[in-house]
Amino acid sequence: MSLYFVDSMTWTITVLGWFIVFVALVFLIGVFLTVPKILNLGSKRDVRKKKGSDAGEQENKAVVLTGETNAAIAMALHLYFSEMHDEESNVITIKEVKRRYSPWSSKVYGFNNVNFPR
Amino acid sequence: MKRLVTLIGIFALLFCLQLVGGGFEALASGTEGGFAEQAIGGLEKLWSFTGFANVHYTNIIMIAVGLFFIFLAIKFDYEPLLLVPIGTGVIIGNIPFLAGNNIGLYESGSVLNYLYFGVEKGVYPPLIFLGIGAMTDFSSLISNPKLMILGAAAQIGIFATFLGASALGFGPEEAGAIGIIGGADGPTAIFLSSKLAPHLMGAIAIAAYSYMALVPVIQPPIMRLIVPKHERLIKMKPPRAVSKTEKVLFPIIGLLLTTFISPSALPLLGMLFFGNLLKESGVTERLADTARNALINIITILLGVTVGASTQADYFLTTDSLKIFGLGAISFMVATAGGLLFARIMNLFLKGDKKINPLIGAAGVSAVPDSARVAQMEGLKNDPTNHLLMHAMAPNVSGVIGSAVAAGILLAFLS
Repeated sequence: MSLYFVDSMTWTITVLGWFIVFVALVFLIGVFLTVPKILNLGSKRDVRKKKGSDAGEQENKAVVLTGETNAAIAMALHLYFSEMHDEESNVITIKEVKRRYSPWSSKVYGFNNVNFPR
Repeated sequence: MKRLVTLIGIFALLFCLQLVGGGFEALASGTEGGFAEQAIGGLEKLWSFTGFANVHYTNIIMIAVGLFFIFLAIKFDYEPLLLVPIGTGVIIGNIPFLAGNNIGLYESGSVLNYLYFGVEKGVYPPLIFLGIGAMTDFSSLISNPKLMILGAAAQIGIFATFLGASALGFGPEEAGAIGIIGGADGPTAIFLSSKLAPHLMGAIAIAAYSYMALVPVIQPPIMRLIVPKHERLIKMKPPRAVSKTEKVLFPIIGLLLTTFISPSALPLLGMLFFGNLLKESGVTERLADTARNALINIITILLGVTVGASTQADYFLTTDSLKIFGLGAISFMVATAGGLLFARIMNLFLKGDKKINPLIGAAGVSAVPDSARVAQMEGLKNDPTNHLLMHAMAPNVSGVIGSAVAAGILLAFLS
């Protein structure tokens, strides 16, 4: 059967295909909305074990750190460490440089002695 | 020293005289066709092998196209990592030659044909996906998973092009392969066309990659047309910090879920999530480093050159290719519009600081990271303090997953 220039099978693939892509990604969304909650449950339980039953209230008030806050902390740390200097001994020494003899640039070998009587 | 030079000169002169004398003798005797005849015959054979003797105007057109790609890459910085290899490949593939000497890409046994094997059998795309996985940071997507829906919305480009190609008279398999151009994902397009319509692969790959390079040109006018000024100014809440456990779990869960839904896309999705696991696990840094640097660079070179070379004029310059190019342009526009409109619809149901800037909907077109960068640039044009890049990366990477899932679905329906 032809429906608007293309057959019904083409329409079926189009509609169903797009729907399945949506379903797949919505499914992923659902999972990734749930995963942090499950992970938080585990961490909350650990905190309760450590601090006793009072820790529950403190946990509820826990501050959520955003990426911006982390970036600001990282920047502050970076600036702090970049301003620090290496520790130096403050001892200045002058080392005498001893050169071994080398005939490489010796003037003796550069002159022509032909005009001088031997 | 002078004596030595004189001696060599005398020997050279004697050698030349002997040659000329021998030639004259051969001419005089008239044996074995003669020197001149042999020389002319040899030159004629040499001429028949040259590009000048075999040239056709279509070769010249394609070489000009190749040079144009290289010009775009160098002058305007449009996806140079893709367009320089592809442009050079187009030139290599269109140098005229005498057929039957194992030179051309489509001649079995030729060196280019061996390199093309990776494209023809769909080997290169999963390896590219491995590198992309090892490069991509999914934390923006994990921190705000609902933005993933924009990646799905933009896949309308694939299915709209599939409809359009069917309406233009392409068969179902061909239409499916052409439709994937709308996914704006080069490796996925090559992968699917190698399975569904290998004869159209050159045109599909070139269309996909050229339009990906032209994303900064295609998308902004559509963004300004669909999203009103006041919505372009929306500032989004900064994404929350994502824990390492979530980052490690993401590729494992993503791999299991998506491949169970669409097993046909297993080579692409499997390698994408595997690459990401290498990156996020923190214990395979060497492997992740190879995947995101050396490996992906090698494959990009081979893929670019061979895809470019596959545009041999006699195979490429057909009316079908022109139709594919037209459909490709429309598919990119439809995909962009789909993402933007869906973002605006989402805003109807979101309140307060949870509203999203609809510009990031355009990033659902999975040209990573170009479309996200375009969203960022457009956002900055309207408000220089509004940085959308991190938010736009979420629909961008979900678009990659979405287009791979869509490719798997089309493969399952049509193969």
